Amino acid sequence: MAGSGLFSVITRPVVIALVIGGIGGMVFIGFLNEFHHFASRNEFCTSCHSMTFAETVYQQSAHYNSASGVRASCGDCHVSPGLLASTWDHVVGATDFFKQLFGENYDDPVINALHLPESAFMAREWFRKRDSASCRYCHVQEAIQGERTHTAAIHREETEGKTCIDCHTNLVHRPVPDERTFKRDAWNRMIEEEFGLEPGTADRLLAKPRPE
Amino acid sequence: MFGVIQMRKGFETIGGQWVGVLVLLGWMLAGPALAEPVKLDPRHWGHEAGEKCVSCHSKASSGLASQWRESAHHAAGVNCMDCHQAERSDPDSMVHEGQIIATIVSPKDCGRCHQKEYEEQQGSVHAEAFALIEARLPALADHVGGPIMRAASCDQCHGSRVGVQGDGRLDPATWPNSGIGRINPDGSKGSCSACHGRHRFSKAQAREPEACVRCHSGPDSPDKEIFEASKHGMVYAAHRHEMNLDAPEWVAGRDYTAAPTCVTCHMGAAGKLPSTHDVGMRNAWSLNSPVSNRQFLVVFEDGAKMELPEGAEIPKRGAELTRLDGTVGQVKTLAAPDRRRQAMSMVCLECHAKSFTESFMSQFDAVVELFNDKFGRPARDVMAGLYAAELLTPTPFDEPIEFTYWELWHDEGARARHGASMMSPNHAWWEGMYVVGRNFYARFLPEARAIAGERADELVDAVIGAVESHQWLNDPGQSSPILGFARDTHEEAE
Repeated sequence: MAGSGLFSVITRPVVIALVIGGIGGMVFIGFLNEFHHFASRNEFCTSCHSMTFAETVYQQSAHYNSASGVRASCGDCHVSPGLLASTWDHVVGATDFFKQLFGENYDDPVINALHLPESAFMAREWFRKRDSASCRYCHVQEAIQGERTHTAAIHREETEGKTCIDCHTNLVHRPVPDERTFKRDAWNRMIEEEFGLEPGTADRLLAKPRPE
Repeated sequence: MFGVIQMRKGFETIGGQWVGVLVLLGWMLAGPALAEPVKLDPRHWGHEAGEKCVSCHSKASSGLASQWRESAHHAAGVNCMDCHQAERSDPDSMVHEGQIIATIVSPKDCGRCHQKEYEEQQGSVHAEAFALIEARLPALADHVGGPIMRAASCDQCHGSRVGVQGDGRLDPATWPNSGIGRINPDGSKGSCSACHGRHRFSKAQAREPEACVRCHSGPDSPDKEIFEASKHGMVYAAHRHEMNLDAPEWVAGRDYTAAPTCVTCHMGAAGKLPSTHDVGMRNAWSLNSPVSNRQFLVVFEDGAKMELPEGAEIPKRGAELTRLDGTVGQVKTLAAPDRRRQAMSMVCLECHAKSFTESFMSQFDAVVELFNDKFGRPARDVMAGLYAAELLTPTPFDEPIEFTYWELWHDEGARARHGASMMSPNHAWWEGMYVVGRNFYARFLPEARAIAGERADELVDAVIGAVESHQWLNDPGQSSPILGFARDTHEEAE
């Protein structure tokens, strides 16, 4: 009876709906996957001018130029692996897009450099919360040998309670101190000196709302 | 018991006048004669995070971890964090493996436990070694050399003004550096590791003459070479194994008698004379200046110190005095050049008689005065005249005579004076005063006359003519066989 009941439910429209839904779902998953790849490419990220400042420094790093030819893209590090996680990251990442449109003028290299530390702190926190998942997608902690004598032993024996980002910061982008010892004053003076600005300009730029 | 008898004997020998010196010095240094034991409660060290540092650094930089394991710090339970811990607000603080630390352990940091040494060292000629020359550096380091030479040479001895970049990293133009007058990010001056090699901090190593060699060697201050060429150095080389260098306390005349090292005379405890980390305190003269001065040591209430040349207005205790950095300090105490000489002489007295010591000092003083009167002052006056007449540009080292003058006092003159102070006959004469004389007569005066041109009589020869010790030049007929051309031998040969 149950069987005949079930069969009575699988009517023609239901089968059609399931097939369409199934295909639609697969197409959607495929779309998400394609979108993830598309939106993780360097070209996508740097299509906003403000991101090209980060790119310049990245291009000097070992994550861009490695002897083995492996090159990590923006998304390889900054988007979580896995379909759901990556989709979520892209959704959250859209806030960067809105900041670009409605926030400070990050296309200005001075403004960009002045705001860099906060970006770095957020990025580090993001890595930490995910137990450095994007690092671990390529790097296997147990397999790290290193060039120095005891690198392997350190990664086996000295890492309890730590995640990659706890030790490995300032690898790719412009070095920023840890949030706990960051000195805004010193950072501002450095940026002013770098761009030949009067002392105090940085503080004024940070305090001033974006001119309309 | 033996020590007490020795001390009593020394006490009687030196007489009443010396007792006053002892009291003054004892009071000035406010410390006992022996190496100061750390007074801080041991509960203050042995930081709990230190074990983790050691575990990882035994792998990541095993050399320094091993050195630390050999140290008295390790034996006492002092670990990495006890010295390297920092406050969040420190300019050079950083987060390392979850701990807030600083790379640089400044004298102020060491002073958390070694307070007496820190206070003595602050304001000393060692601690001020960079501050004293900072304004003069560009003219030589940057013009004659290039700014990059600072990190590679000048700063290695004098110290650097360590810069912390806005990104938290130590400015690579100023760090690494262990120069003895380093200006640290926390504002303290000096570098304990200039003499106390990290991370072992061995007492024996710091007592060796080699602790001083990195800087006190070479043409302008060949103190290593002078010591080695002296009787003191000769005896030290032969009896180094009897020096008791590892002793917890190291009082000359009690813990060792074989020979003195640099530390013995300039810093060490000797008999009842207390040890000090103010290396210049016992120096009656300034020896590295165009003209040497007998110098007063002014100690301020806040611990800062200043040298005042004899002849300057000497303040009274409690008076206010403007210092080199422009700040005003209240004078706590003064040590006159004679007092400083007496302190130095007390070291000599552990091995030498009083008359022997006094006579040696008078020989040394006479050499310094000879340099001053015959070469230092006249050369300075000639140069001053040439600058005043605008025959020289104000920029140093853009005219050959400026190198000639510089080497006359800074290199050759310093060698002569240091050679005499520490008994190397070769450095006093052949490397020293002989070269001073040759330079003065054969380079400096001809160059000065050429620059002065028609005014040579007034600007050069009038200055020389007023100095008695140059009068031999007025008699060109004094023959001598020294060059192989004496008149009588010459005539006989003919």
